[in-house]
Amino acid sequence: MSTVQVLLFSVLRQRIGEGSLVLDLETPATGADLLDHLEAQYPIVGEYRPVLRLAVNQEYVPETVTLADGDEVALITPVSGG
Amino acid sequence: MEKKENRHWFLLQHEPLDVGAAFAFLQTPRAGGIDLFVGTTRQWTGDKETTRLEYDCYEAMALKEMERLAGEACERWPVERVFIAHRLGVVPPAEASVVVGVATPHRADAFEACRFLIDTLKQQIPIWKREVYADGETEWVEGPAPPRI
Repeated sequence: MSTVQVLLFSVLRQRIGEGSLVLDLETPATGADLLDHLEAQYPIVGEYRPVLRLAVNQEYVPETVTLADGDEVALITPVSGG
Repeated sequence: MEKKENRHWFLLQHEPLDVGAAFAFLQTPRAGGIDLFVGTTRQWTGDKETTRLEYDCYEAMALKEMERLAGEACERWPVERVFIAHRLGVVPPAEASVVVGVATPHRADAFEACRFLIDTLKQQIPIWKREVYADGETEWVEGPAPPRI
């Protein structure tokens, strides 16, 4: 099992009601596996999935990334700084 | 959060942004042009009145992305100094939410590099704004769908 921390911001933080979640995933797990898992529990993740980017340890990565125990994963909805 | 080196200064802060400090940092005898972009809270968008913006941010990553974008600008243009700052939390109308500044030997490069930094910041840096309207409604603003990775 890998334990990862999932960080939520903006609309996902508001709709899910948490700023971070801790998830245990069967290894090996990819970013897509993590999103499948979250989507099953939180439909809002599915709604945003077509435009969602993943960051692992503060870097954008594709969904195919393999997650490691202790990773910090952030779900990045379309950003709107500036 | 902040990262300041001789030629780069990146800032995320809840307090008002100091454009004078940005200009002072960008001044160097090696530059002949300084371009400063300041983004501010607009009160009216069509017939909707904004009373304030609220910014959420993934700070650790935002600072790294600022540094990465500045590095890209330095590869493409002869940049002597870069300043990027974003305000977080509540930003009232007319106040600055973002300041991007670049110093280069000649002005054409300063305009181009500054334009690149603010445009790319708006697509890449993990910061989100929420509009709070005069009628009490709120709305998280979503930028255009990002490029796939």
